[in-house]
Amino acid sequence: MARMNEDAQWIVMLGFIISIILVFLALIVNQSALVGKTTSESVLDFSKSEIQDVRAEIIEYNWNGTLNQPSLQHDLLNISLEQKGAIIWYEFNQTEDYIFIHYNDGTTEYNEMVRNP
Amino acid sequence: MVNDAGQIYTIEGIAAGVLMIVTAYLVVSTTTVLTPQDVHIIDMQLQQLGNDALAMMDTPDQYGSTTIRSYSPLTVMVMDYNHNAFGYQFLSYVNNTTNIAGTGYDRLNYYANISYLNDTFQIQTVPFGGQPYYRENAVKVTRWVYLPANSSPNIAYPGMRSDTNQSVLLEVLLWRE
Repeated sequence: MARMNEDAQWIVMLGFIISIILVFLALIVNQSALVGKTTSESVLDFSKSEIQDVRAEIIEYNWNGTLNQPSLQHDLLNISLEQKGAIIWYEFNQTEDYIFIHYNDGTTEYNEMVRNP
Repeated sequence: MVNDAGQIYTIEGIAAGVLMIVTAYLVVSTTTVLTPQDVHIIDMQLQQLGNDALAMMDTPDQYGSTTIRSYSPLTVMVMDYNHNAFGYQFLSYVNNTTNIAGTGYDRLNYYANISYLNDTFQIQTVPFGGQPYYRENAVKVTRWVYLPANSSPNIAYPGMRSDTNQSVLLEVLLWRE
């Protein structure tokens, strides 16, 4: 090309520009795939529904008046350790009038004190 | 330098080489990343849907009263081992959709288990209806179910404690057929 013939320089230049643009477009596609993967992965990893479920169950004990029954604490603790690998514990402090809720599945730890249940 | 002719050739060659290597790298890395992306998003949607359906079924009409209405439909179904009613209601919730052409129903299916602490304080698991699972891409959703003290537990739960309130764990495997 050089020396032999000086024609068609526009076409050659546009070819370069387009191929460089293509490289950047491929980069964007690559990134968008990663974004979708990491977003849904972090939603899956975070145990939002489990915590809401445990909380609802313990508040239901409160409404049913069975909060003081110790076997319920051990139901939650034993079954969740065996089936889901998560630690669930709660305590009702009658003198101070609060429920303490603890949840830990190894990646997410959650502690809550419910006052005046 | 012996000769400074052919400089454009050299630049062209280097540019083309860089271009080819970068393109090859991008093509390879892009195709390997694209596949797991879809699976994760579908898993996330399934898990959300299943948890929402179970939460709806585990909501009683009223709390704290002594009537049967203070127990959620899910509690009543688990107490009576009524897995047909559970399957019917659960599938009608998760498959209910408006944007699928033709039937208007999605094609989700499930397999459920109930785990409880029996009278020797061992964990016992009994099946609770659903279709056999043939290694489809499935997610697991769970729900704690409160069972009031019941002097004669259903025959389907061997060794279930009869003298005390208890929480049992309902696990549902959910997949799209």
